[in-house]
Amino acid sequence: MWTRKASFTFTGGIALILIGMMITNNQMMILGLTLITFIVVNSWVSGHGDIEVQRTLSADNLYKGDDLYVELLVTNRSNRRTQLLDVYDNIPHEMKLRSGLNQMRLNLRPGESARIRYVLRCPLRGHYSIGPVSLRVRNTFNLGVEDMYVDHHSDIVIFPQIKEVEEAFLRSRTPKMYTGATTLRTPGQGSEFYSLREYVPGDPFKNINWKAFARTGDLMVNEKCRDAVTDLYILLDSRDVARIGTVLKNPLEMGTVSAASLAAFFLKRRDSVALGIYGDGLAYLPPDTGDKQYFKILSSLAGVKPEGSMPLQAVTNSLSGRFSRGSPVFVISSCEGDGTVPAAVRDLVGRGHEVTVLSPSSIDFERLVSRIPRMSYEVLKLERQNRLTTLAGSGAQVIDWMPDMDLSQAIMQVRGF
Amino acid sequence: MAGEVDPQSDVSLMGGRARTLHLKALRKQWQIITLQVVSTIALVWMYLEVVSTYVVNSIDHTMLFDSLESLVGEVPIGDWLIGSGRTGLARFYVPIVLGLGLGGSMALMAFQSPRVQQRIKLGFIVTLMVLLIGRLVLTWIPSMLFSWDLRAPSESELKTLEWPLLMILSLIILFIYLLPVIMGTRGIWGLSRRSIGWAIGFTLLFLGIHAILTFPLIKTQLGDWGSNLISLESQVSDPTVGIFGFDLVTPEQFSLILIAVLIMVFQESGFGVIRYLEYAYRLPESCKRDPEYVRQMDNVLNGHLRHTAGFLTVTGLVTMIALGFHSVLLEVVRTSTGSQWAAQVSESIELSLTYGLVISALLFLSLVALLRFFVPWQRVWGLIESMTNKQPEPVKEKEF
Repeated sequence: MWTRKASFTFTGGIALILIGMMITNNQMMILGLTLITFIVVNSWVSGHGDIEVQRTLSADNLYKGDDLYVELLVTNRSNRRTQLLDVYDNIPHEMKLRSGLNQMRLNLRPGESARIRYVLRCPLRGHYSIGPVSLRVRNTFNLGVEDMYVDHHSDIVIFPQIKEVEEAFLRSRTPKMYTGATTLRTPGQGSEFYSLREYVPGDPFKNINWKAFARTGDLMVNEKCRDAVTDLYILLDSRDVARIGTVLKNPLEMGTVSAASLAAFFLKRRDSVALGIYGDGLAYLPPDTGDKQYFKILSSLAGVKPEGSMPLQAVTNSLSGRFSRGSPVFVISSCEGDGTVPAAVRDLVGRGHEVTVLSPSSIDFERLVSRIPRMSYEVLKLERQNRLTTLAGSGAQVIDWMPDMDLSQAIMQVRGF
Repeated sequence: MAGEVDPQSDVSLMGGRARTLHLKALRKQWQIITLQVVSTIALVWMYLEVVSTYVVNSIDHTMLFDSLESLVGEVPIGDWLIGSGRTGLARFYVPIVLGLGLGGSMALMAFQSPRVQQRIKLGFIVTLMVLLIGRLVLTWIPSMLFSWDLRAPSESELKTLEWPLLMILSLIILFIYLLPVIMGTRGIWGLSRRSIGWAIGFTLLFLGIHAILTFPLIKTQLGDWGSNLISLESQVSDPTVGIFGFDLVTPEQFSLILIAVLIMVFQESGFGVIRYLEYAYRLPESCKRDPEYVRQMDNVLNGHLRHTAGFLTVTGLVTMIALGFHSVLLEVVRTSTGSQWAAQVSESIELSLTYGLVISALLFLSLVALLRFFVPWQRVWGLIESMTNKQPEPVKEKEF
């Protein structure tokens, strides 16, 4: 494609030729002809050689706030120079350049490579894709420009931050709760051997005891002792109202951080953690333990978006049947715009669950972005206080989480209710 | 985890000291200086070509100074400075050196701090004022004080203004004549796009005005003065300049092609330097120190130098061939048909005039442009480059 300069040069050349012809002036005509020749000669060389792009990331998964090191290797695979080539690596707008630059102007010889290295800061959780790589080939004299892409993407997941949670603050009033895994002498999911039994269809092949099969001729499977772990249920509110506040500080962001931190804390103790995210619909991860579950939970939390208006009662109605008896339930919600929260909490408490409501203060988040008159703020605050008191009266432990408060600090409040 | 991006270890640092893309270092790089020198040479050469074609012995500054001297008396600038008494192009040698010096000084001033610039400008204005009215004030005011009489300056006192006024007028005349050189030099070395634009614009403006004034209708209206203007013949004479033994263009045409090509060399080199320095300036600190960026900047500058030499030479040659293409067409018509009509056409004066010349040149250029679709230039360039370039050493992979 011609640049503005090329268009002006061509138009100028034609104009000079025409004017020169009109006034029979050789200088004008020859100047015009030379300008046209310049364009014609430059049009012989266009495009670039065969470019290969390879991107290396320092990690595929990162925690919010971490730095990502990116290296882009651009190689000229053709037998000719690339000419003046601007290489630009497209990065998600949520990420910020911390060091280096995601672009370079280069002119690679055949077979030559160039490395573009830069560091990105990832301030927001989510699923991101770096790429494609934009290439802009320029004529040396800036007469022609050609834009193209190398469709090379690198996917990256930014997990929510994990905050340290102190054990003392999460101690339950119920004995033997949150004590981690203990082996029971009953068959079930676990790690220690319990007995051999005959294979029944549906048993996983990995449990087949091949030695016993060789010895007896019948398929036998290993049964394990059941690990008695605490099943912990986390219900995260991702409704549209959870977006109140700034991009970095809002109830949903704080909710994801707390859910991730609690999950990390309990999974480290070999407890089973389940996650329910409700907003537009309900996404539920059944309780499980281990690193795989940890990764699943973080991945789910990374992709959470504020949308929908599903009430908590609908969630508890749908899930309470699956909850293990007496297991603790964490509800992370601002409790705004959902009149079913007290009923849902009452229902869970009635079923014998120990319910903790971690409630980011949405009014205070709103104050970060808009000015609320003092009187209105006081009234709204009082309404919220009443709502939380009602929840506490239902038998739940309620935590009023202020925007500037750390998670550990917030959990300390449990004692107050 | 996070830290600065370190310089890459696989790039050797020359002379044990890392090269960077800081402007201070980049301005001393040989490619940048070469481009600036090429641009300056093109500017001076273009100026000399223009003045030798249109100005010398026609409307040059020495003739203007002669007219001025005959009207108001001796011009206070020395003849050796303005080139009076010399013949031909030699009249311009010293003024060009002065213009280059002035342009260079202005470029140098552009790199001083605003405070220093302000002081220099103030000093210049004060000097100019002292030069203009200094002698008058020094004679007139003491005379009034001694005689204790408030009066207007006398004729003899006013005569002291004559020399400085003539001096300033002479300097202004020289400045206008040398404007392309002064502004061009300032633009090239002071990295000013506007100044380069001024230099080109002024040259084109001069050519345009000259073209209009030499238009036969207007020229006849200008009388004696108009007859002094040099106008090039519109009818093409026999070509004497060419390549590989083929005579393609007349010396006049060659001179005009040279002016056009030199304008482009000046423009592209001057703007190129500014463009690359701007790019380097905008790079963040870590990139300026990154040897990879330094290496690529070298590649880009070398490419620019190669293309400036190659493409603009080819442009000149193709223009020459295009201008000589009409004779090829005439020859083809003459030899291929042999009919009476063909002979008449081939001897037709229109074909030798500008119209025929330009149309045949444009026809040739169209054919050359169409070659793009028939000749695989990319492969040709690739072949040439692969033959001329050494393969670089393989880059050692660096792992995180």
